Amino acid sequence: MAQPSSSKSFFRLRKPVSRRQSLISGFAIWLVFFAVWIIASAAGLVNELLVPAPQQVFGTTYELFAERGFSSDVLISISRVLIAFAMATAVALPLGVLMGSFPAIEAISAPFISAWRYLPAPSFIPILLMWFGTGEAPKLALLFIGVIFFLVTLIMDHTKNVREELVETALTLGASRSVVVLKVILPAVLPDIVVALRQMLAMAWTYLVIAEIVASTTGIGAMMMRARRFLNTDEILAGIIIIGALGMMFDLLFAALHRWAFPYLRKA
Amino acid sequence: MDQNAALEIRHVGKSFDIGREQSLQAVSDVSFKAEKNSICVLLGPSGCGKSTILRMIAGLETPSAGDIVIGGRNFDGPGRDRGMVFQAYTSFDWLTVRCNVEFGMKINGVSRKHRRERAAHFIDLVGLGKFADAYPSQLSGGMRQRVAIARTLANDPEVLLMDEPFGALDAETRWLMQELMVEVADKTNTTMVIVTHDLEEAIFLADKIIFLSSHPGRLKEEIVPAFKQGQRIGEKEQAVKMAGYSELEAHLMRLMREEGRGLE
Repeated sequence: MAQPSSSKSFFRLRKPVSRRQSLISGFAIWLVFFAVWIIASAAGLVNELLVPAPQQVFGTTYELFAERGFSSDVLISISRVLIAFAMATAVALPLGVLMGSFPAIEAISAPFISAWRYLPAPSFIPILLMWFGTGEAPKLALLFIGVIFFLVTLIMDHTKNVREELVETALTLGASRSVVVLKVILPAVLPDIVVALRQMLAMAWTYLVIAEIVASTTGIGAMMMRARRFLNTDEILAGIIIIGALGMMFDLLFAALHRWAFPYLRKA
Repeated sequence: MDQNAALEIRHVGKSFDIGREQSLQAVSDVSFKAEKNSICVLLGPSGCGKSTILRMIAGLETPSAGDIVIGGRNFDGPGRDRGMVFQAYTSFDWLTVRCNVEFGMKINGVSRKHRRERAAHFIDLVGLGKFADAYPSQLSGGMRQRVAIARTLANDPEVLLMDEPFGALDAETRWLMQELMVEVADKTNTTMVIVTHDLEEAIFLADKIIFLSSHPGRLKEEIVPAFKQGQRIGEKEQAVKMAGYSELEAHLMRLMREEGRGLE
């Protein structure tokens, strides 16, 4: 295939690009980013204290893991996200599916749950600290509050989108209501639920960092706040990179889970 | 109760609330019978309430007037005695063809061994033997409708209800599916009630045509295709060539046209 040789063939309106071109483009943009950063540092265009060179940031990242036990902070952060997210899912999944299946349940819980979505979760931090003290509980509670109301609503909406014909088919095959919910609605909505979980896990990471920056002595966020006190910008940037890498890793894991769990969605 | 009837519709009416204390009369005083092991086709222009009547038989809607009797019994809500095939694809995408066909039997407590045998039988009957382990997303539209038909038949309903089942298919697939239904009706002795607005489909399939007028849906004419002389025809081109076919088609066209005029 001929590569785009002129601007006219490069800027083709709404025509998909080849896999090769998208790989090159995606790689190139990061190359440009790091090149600008390296050149700016080497040429002294930026304050070395505020913007350390990328090689220094990556060196520090390695050092944090190799010599200063940073992995325990990372593990604490990961476990916080996973525990809080598992609790939120355990509540949101059955509740959202029931609300999407039975309008009577939706009529009771939707007005209550939707209202909570407008209350920013971080505004609960002061009261959570007073209720739960300084242990793990307030952090888990913040993550839980930050995720649960959106998750319930998303799962409910996806459940409502399960086509009526599927439900009616099951009914005319003699299915009871519980069979319809468990054997038709739930499996039909499960792929969408996994997508919703994937989106909300990204949000959970956001709240984790807020919780750890505001009120924690352990975890990635706490390490970054400690580094700030000693003007260790390289450590702060290392923390940001680790959080990004973890977020991306979990996103890819969810994508893999989706492919593995729902092979029937792939076209032959 | 007529001993020969699998299904009796008696003076059935249906009106829907459309808000502000107004209601829309969709079906008014419709009566007919579907004889055991017969194919009964509900035909009429759009707005004649034919799908509403089918949904009331299925138990998915409740009649506002009259009653519906199946095998001598009244019913409340949907049940396995009245299996339904929809126009939209209803395959359960997460199950293989085999598990789709076994679904009804499984939830009704049919033993595993019996389920396997029956599913295999009906999958073969609709010509999907090679695709038993495929997922619906790997099948064409016509094949998915075959899955739906096999799944409903395997559940052993007293009446098979079909709501424009081939409406989404292209012409040649449609013909094949119509011929398949005649074959299935002969082999399984199933009573079928089929809704369509396609004249050709109605004439080819029907042992009896119930023609409905629109706004509200009323019984306009009950027609037994006399040219078939009580025999079902296996092939479309054979039917078209028979004496009396085109007269019946012309008659139905006239009925359709009268209904169309009523709207203008």
